[in-house]
Amino acid sequence: MTLPSVEVSGVVKTFGEGTANEVRALRGVDLEVESGSFVIIVGMNGSGKSTLLNAVAGSFPIDRGRIRLAGRDVTRWPEHRRAQLVGRVFQNPFSGTAPDLSIAENLALAARRGRRRGLGFALGKARRAELADRVRGLGMGLEDRLDNPIGTLSGGQRQGLTLLMATWRRPELLLLDEHTAALDPKSGDQVIRLSCRAIEGGRLTTMMVTHSMQQAATLGDRLIMMVQGRVHHDISGSEKRRLRPEDLLDRFEEVRRSERLDTASAEVLRRDYV
Amino acid sequence: MALLLGALSIGLILSLLAMGVFISFRVFSFPDITTDGSVTTGAAIAAVLLVDGVSPLWATLAGALGGAAAGAATGVLHSRFKINRLLAGILVMTALYSINLRIMGKSNVPLLSAQTLATQAEAVGTRWLGQTELEIAGFAVTTRDLSVLLVIFGLVVSVAGLLLMFLRTQLGTAMRATGNNEQMIRAQGVNVGNMQIGGIALANGLVGLAGALLAQYQGFADVQMGIGMVVWGLASVIIGEALVGTTDIGLVITGAVMGSVLFRLLVAIALRAGLNPTDLKLVTAVFVFVALVLPGVLARLRARRPAASPLDAEGGR
Repeated sequence: MTLPSVEVSGVVKTFGEGTANEVRALRGVDLEVESGSFVIIVGMNGSGKSTLLNAVAGSFPIDRGRIRLAGRDVTRWPEHRRAQLVGRVFQNPFSGTAPDLSIAENLALAARRGRRRGLGFALGKARRAELADRVRGLGMGLEDRLDNPIGTLSGGQRQGLTLLMATWRRPELLLLDEHTAALDPKSGDQVIRLSCRAIEGGRLTTMMVTHSMQQAATLGDRLIMMVQGRVHHDISGSEKRRLRPEDLLDRFEEVRRSERLDTASAEVLRRDYV
Repeated sequence: MALLLGALSIGLILSLLAMGVFISFRVFSFPDITTDGSVTTGAAIAAVLLVDGVSPLWATLAGALGGAAAGAATGVLHSRFKINRLLAGILVMTALYSINLRIMGKSNVPLLSAQTLATQAEAVGTRWLGQTELEIAGFAVTTRDLSVLLVIFGLVVSVAGLLLMFLRTQLGTAMRATGNNEQMIRAQGVNVGNMQIGGIALANGLVGLAGALLAQYQGFADVQMGIGMVVWGLASVIIGEALVGTTDIGLVITGAVMGSVLFRLLVAIALRAGLNPTDLKLVTAVFVFVALVLPGVLARLRARRPAASPLDAEGGR
């Protein structure tokens, strides 16, 4: 029995509480992720999947509940402190890298993720050699362009580098938030291949949000479907392995029908009683 | 010739201010108005200490530290109390006006009889050359002007070198990334607020240093001397960017120094040609306005023609 790497218990988050734009993004999420597990998270728009990832990463304080990472209660840790334990790749390829800094400088920053930064030079000789080596591993031909500003690269290249940055120091938890959604299919596939290699090679505990049914069905060893701010389905083991994209679409259709039913019946109730 | 040396000296002193403005405006994308107050704070602290007979080196350093403290205050107002960047700078700048008056005790502190870096440079220069006046390329030059210029030049070069080295350290790189992409640097475990406080303190430390040197160069500190300085610094940075036209920080810092000197020279020439000093700040502001707007206008003009490059549309950021 492996210890849970991530423990989310009773997490509630409402944005804009008490205003007209109130959004109850998370309505009591309970989730345990075992160490080394690769969890896929799916759900419709507004179901709270990205919010869940951001809550774990600490992008905002949660209203209720607890979050533990690697056995430590991080509920009150600010985002930058949780970065000691968490590596992230965002949906927007522009989010994970500093565009005016060179490839080498971005990676040098990632090499000290969550550590103290002092007055040593960011790019020593040894560091440069290591950089070139690991960038070559991406297979994107970027090893000769280490001094180019990252802003000059394509979205796929930037996501590849962001992935490398997130996993440069082994993270206790890797968070991938629809990180191929903004890419063309070919670079998307490439980034997915790199992700799988990093995850399998490092036995990284991973939570990955995706909109792609193909990715959801074929990747990972566990699948979670979020509906209206709660965990609705939790599939793992042999059931996950047998899962096909069509099955997922069926389940989505089910959820959609029940939701429409919900709103329809609410409408009836409102009409009759209010 | 004296005019040229004077313009060079002031241009070099103010290039330290330009470096400060470069850090806040460009590295941190933080439009920091504290500058107008902190340059006077640096001058005031240095002047008062010099009058008290403190050694010029320590007095200058204290002036820089005073500026840094003012910058840290602006950084804290923004990052801890979530006050808008411009407003945080305006609040500190306004408060500094009173603080500067308190430091000086009056609105103007003359340094006529005090020992300053300028008088020290003159003494050393006179000892080396053995005369108070010499001829360069057919022009009569006082030893004072020349030795002051050389000392300032050496100082500016070393400060620029140290700044460049700092920006390439782990900490300095993290600061540059903070101004570039806060989300990214937070995900790398960096406290954005601390970086901003440190960065704006560093920027205003350089501004305070410029103020301390300026007071010693012109022989007095005045409570009004900071007015419009931030625009002056911005003009220098913009000219520098036009001169070097790259994003390499080493070149951009060099550009800011060159921009400051060039701008001061242009001003000296314009004043000599009959520009009324009263209009100087108006002209400076108009210049910065044009420099900020021009790239966008040019890009739009070029965009009407087919072969347009999207890189031209960068504008003033």
